[in-house]
Amino acid sequence: MKNPPKKTSDSSDIILEVRDLVQVFNGRAVLNGLNFKVRRGETFIIMGGSGCGKTTLLRILIGAQKPTSGSVRLFGQDITQLDPEALDKIRLRFGMNFQFGALFQSMTVGENIALPLQEHSRVDPSLIEMVVKMKLELVGLTGFENFKPSEISGGMRKRVGLARALALDPELLFSDEPTSGLDPVMTAVVDQLTLDSTRKIGVTAVVVSHDMTSAFRIATRMLMLGSGPRQGEIVAEGTPDEIRNNPDPFLQQFIRGEADGPIPLRLSQDDYLKHLLGDG
Amino acid sequence: MKFLVRLLRRNEGKGYWVLNARIYSFLLWGLTNPKVLSPELTLSQMLRIGVQALPMASLVALSVGFILAMQASTELGKLGADSFIPDLVSLSLMRELGPLLIAIIVVGRSGSAVTAEIGTMKVNEEIEALRVMAISPVRYLVVPRYLALVIMLPILTIFGNCVGLAGGWAVCAGTLDMPTSFYIKHAVDRPELWDLYSGLIKSVVFAHIIITIACHQGLNVEDGAQGVGRATTNSVVFSILWIIISDAILTGLFFFVS
Ligand SMILES: Nc1ncnc2c1ncn2[C@@H]1O[C@H](COP(=O)(O)OP(=O)(O)OP(=O)(O)O)[C@@H](O)[C@H]1O
Ligand SMILES: [Mg+2]
Repeated sequence: MKNPPKKTSDSSDIILEVRDLVQVFNGRAVLNGLNFKVRRGETFIIMGGSGCGKTTLLRILIGAQKPTSGSVRLFGQDITQLDPEALDKIRLRFGMNFQFGALFQSMTVGENIALPLQEHSRVDPSLIEMVVKMKLELVGLTGFENFKPSEISGGMRKRVGLARALALDPELLFSDEPTSGLDPVMTAVVDQLTLDSTRKIGVTAVVVSHDMTSAFRIATRMLMLGSGPRQGEIVAEGTPDEIRNNPDPFLQQFIRGEADGPIPLRLSQDDYLKHLLGDG
Repeated sequence: MKFLVRLLRRNEGKGYWVLNARIYSFLLWGLTNPKVLSPELTLSQMLRIGVQALPMASLVALSVGFILAMQASTELGKLGADSFIPDLVSLSLMRELGPLLIAIIVVGRSGSAVTAEIGTMKVNEEIEALRVMAISPVRYLVVPRYLALVIMLPILTIFGNCVGLAGGWAVCAGTLDMPTSFYIKHAVDRPELWDLYSGLIKSVVFAHIIITIACHQGLNVEDGAQGVGRATTNSVVFSILWIIISDAILTGLFFFVS
């Protein structure tokens, strides 16, 4: 039940395909030749240390940013080559939940969720109101329609962002750390929402997550991006079981959350001295 | 029309003239499909911009009417030409001071507000979110504000002219004992229709300058809160600069035309 159906030969099943993706910022390769595929119905988790390029990867996947090189095929089309008109058509098929919400501050919670519906569907306002209530109930925020984003907590904002991303019932959901800053119960609620969307409605989810409990709870496949000396490469990719049993020390340190290990956080004594004295 | 919109979208976010062209393309498209122009958003922006500027615009217009009449009365009084004061007040207001001063007030109130608002949205990733939802920020944010200001500024200017005339009347009636009927007759008879039109043409051009600069600065904010502050300053300074330069050019043009 946990593993996705293995239909590797069927390419129409592939909803997202990344090839040789490279992103360079100021001469530093943040993403360096990534290759992976996401199949329809999967819940694909992207993990990795803070600052390793997860948000950057997501921004490239949704076409918000052009990569330095490489291709991203979404629904069979290379979005790095598309003109904005065609990209807009594709954008209607997926939802994006931003790391920091990106809610419209001048609108209420309800208006935020209603906006994509008003702009892209011809349904009646009373129906939109109903959809808004449904989406808010999904994320446990019934009754908050008329609050401004500045009047709710950070965790609530994240959930509004998720509700807005789901407003148009997308086939594909991108979610950037949907559970960070949420309490354990709310984390479980959001995880359950992702599970329900993927298992019951058939939504494909690409989720960035730091939270290992939550990641293993929802994932059908996982990918870990490297940092430090392994910046820009894929450390490991596989089903949750494969990831758990992968002996890579880098990966094991990350999923166990240990301070000691190959993931470089601090400089060595010598390097630290050099750095302080300014000749490192 | 849609073709034009499509063509220009490829140059998204690349400079002031592209933004202008994109606004026009949406306006042209809006001629055949009014929904593109988001009438509700436009209306709410009109109310905001218009109502916001009303008290200050009246105060300034009243003061300018006062000043014009008093300055004129000292000089024209020496020549015994007091009776020309109404002509002078109304001509200066309609042709020049009305459009110019009201535009400058609107730069300070609305131009800066638009830049700060759009700039903050940019910093907060809201512009990004709009794009990802396949909603064009130019159509959704810029076009309603553009229409609102291009409609409201001439209206505010006409209103300001009337208030300014009242200011001039107060001086004439109060200190020079000029009969009200005399003042009104001269103030209204003297200017030709063209004087009014030339002022209104100016205020449409000013509105265009204010809102395109404000939106362009806002959409191009970088570097967080500091960037918003810098963009807002730029918006105000460039708007005032270009308003005055274009005023000189237009006044020159009108001078040679008539
Ligand atoms: N526009 C940019 N210009 C230059 N460098 C950038 C830019 N955007 C991101 N970076 C760099 O790319 C790296 C990855 O950033 P990113 O936001 O993708 O990290 P992340 O994995 O999402 O981290 P977190 O888990 O903390 O959210 C960082 O080192 C950052 O400095
Ligand atoms: Mg991030």
